[in-house]
Amino acid sequence: MTMELSAGAAKRRGAGGWRWSGRIFLLLLLGFTVMPMIWMFITSLKTGFAAMQYPPQWWPAEPTLENYWRLIDPSGNVGRDFIQYFWNSIWVSTLTTILAVVVAVPAAYAFSRFRFPGRNFLFFAVLLRNMFPAVVFLVPLFILMKALGLVNTHGSLILTYLTFGLPLAIWLLKGFYDNIPVQLEQAARIDGATRFQAFFLIVMPLSTPGIIATSIYSFIGAWNEYIYAYTFLTRHDQMTLPVGIQRFFSENATDWPGLMAATFMMSIPVVVLFLVLQRYFVRALTEGAVKH
Amino acid sequence: MSTVPGQAIFRDVPEPRRIGLSQKVWNSRFDYLYVAPALIVMLIVIGYPIYYTIELSFFNTPASLALSAKQFNGLDNYVTILTSPVFWKVTWQTVLWTVLSTFFAFMIGLGAALALHREFAGRGVLRALLLIPWVVSAVAASYVWKWLYHSDFGAISAMLTQVGWIDKPINFIDNTNTSLYALIVVNVWKEFSFAMIMLMAGLQTVPDTLLRAAQVDGASPWQRFWHVTFPHLQGVSMVTLLLLAVQNFNSFIIPWIMTGGGPAGSSDIWITHIYQLAFGRQRWGVASAYAVILFIVMMVLGYFYVRALTKGDDARAAG
Repeated sequence: MTMELSAGAAKRRGAGGWRWSGRIFLLLLLGFTVMPMIWMFITSLKTGFAAMQYPPQWWPAEPTLENYWRLIDPSGNVGRDFIQYFWNSIWVSTLTTILAVVVAVPAAYAFSRFRFPGRNFLFFAVLLRNMFPAVVFLVPLFILMKALGLVNTHGSLILTYLTFGLPLAIWLLKGFYDNIPVQLEQAARIDGATRFQAFFLIVMPLSTPGIIATSIYSFIGAWNEYIYAYTFLTRHDQMTLPVGIQRFFSENATDWPGLMAATFMMSIPVVVLFLVLQRYFVRALTEGAVKH
Repeated sequence: MSTVPGQAIFRDVPEPRRIGLSQKVWNSRFDYLYVAPALIVMLIVIGYPIYYTIELSFFNTPASLALSAKQFNGLDNYVTILTSPVFWKVTWQTVLWTVLSTFFAFMIGLGAALALHREFAGRGVLRALLLIPWVVSAVAASYVWKWLYHSDFGAISAMLTQVGWIDKPINFIDNTNTSLYALIVVNVWKEFSFAMIMLMAGLQTVPDTLLRAAQVDGASPWQRFWHVTFPHLQGVSMVTLLLLAVQNFNSFIIPWIMTGGGPAGSSDIWITHIYQLAFGRQRWGVASAYAVILFIVMMVLGYFYVRALTKGDDARAAG
């Protein structure tokens, strides 16, 4: 009896040790993760003078929201541009998302349900796109955009964002369709629905979570995109946030608090979107990779 | 499933045994309508650029990008690249960058996934917080870390000084010996959470009964992990490692914003190097040849990637 007890206690202590090292690891990791975000926020509350001190003020002696007011004040130079970048980002990301989902839904459905000749090759081609860096496409796309007169327009961005938005959207949505039982459509077909009706009236409503997840993905991808926007846009009034905020940065006299306030504002929409819809987001990502 | 009544309805035409390809294509003509829009978009923005990159790689194109004046120069661009010492330096740095970033992101992600697997108070909040770096734009991350690494006012140097580990601020990214590693830290920060969620999902597929059985038989936590959990994670680990490797190989934003590949090319990797060649020095032909070589490397990796992703896809196929 006593033997058993002490053995159990020892086992529990062993497991407890693992659990505690897990906790400590998570705590350190949490510090590593949030420290930059916190420092971003703290710096954004400083004046330019306060930021340039060593050792730094860990918490600003005189915290100020001035950097934020400057960004959202439409009467100032900085504010006018920042608001313009913000709207450009929203506009480009939203339109990209809508187009990607509209085009990807039927394609993903077809890849999930139909077996047509060339299906495997085409699906392979779609997935393969995810492998290639933007740079491989950059020079020819730049030439194409010049030829089409799309340089310095949002059209160039939306068109290219579809290149990375579509394959991902198709793959994510296909994962969802694969998990919707075919029997549902078969039942609908027996009841006289056409193949399109079965898709549109039965499968579409069931795949709403998938469509939401795919939309968030496309939106965040477009919102954070940098390299195409950096290459195709030179006019200030067309720029999206990731390229626009470079104006706060210059080798000699960087306005660090201003830059940090701008990056903070830029991060808010995606982080909020993500936190609210986290459930869908995580499920979609892992749906295709993990076979239950 | 094969005996479900009505399955035959899904085939528009009763299928004879041996049937010609053109007949098959014709029979599934309506299937193609579903994928057509996607394929057209992809053909314009993917097929055409790939073709054009290959073409440009055999030409000498003037800096002005005046295409009518481009001259065929055979394999010259390729020879230029492969005989340049910079190529091998950048390739080595790319390998270091990719391998180290992938390894550390994966290991930290695995640790976090295992630690978060068990239910405890605040687990959801913690998971969400740990995922933030992955959602935040790489541009924002690059600027914040550039500020943290700042050679005069950087918070990291200041912290290390206050703890007493160093006397004067360290120059992390303006130093040829440390720049690449300083950037790898940022990259790992940005990416470990991706490995974490993938592996957390993978852990849910490990049968609890097996783990409990192993525990009853007296297996230590380490043995349970190594003999029960780990084998179940192999599939998802493959996909995760491949995706991370591809993503790291293709990195641009972090090195470009933080150092621009410098100082003295010490943090240059393939992508930043190609970008610099094309849009910095207007050497379109050489840059395109680089892109083609990269393309070939990626095709090899891509083969494994797609194979890992589509495993079991056909088995799950429906009518």
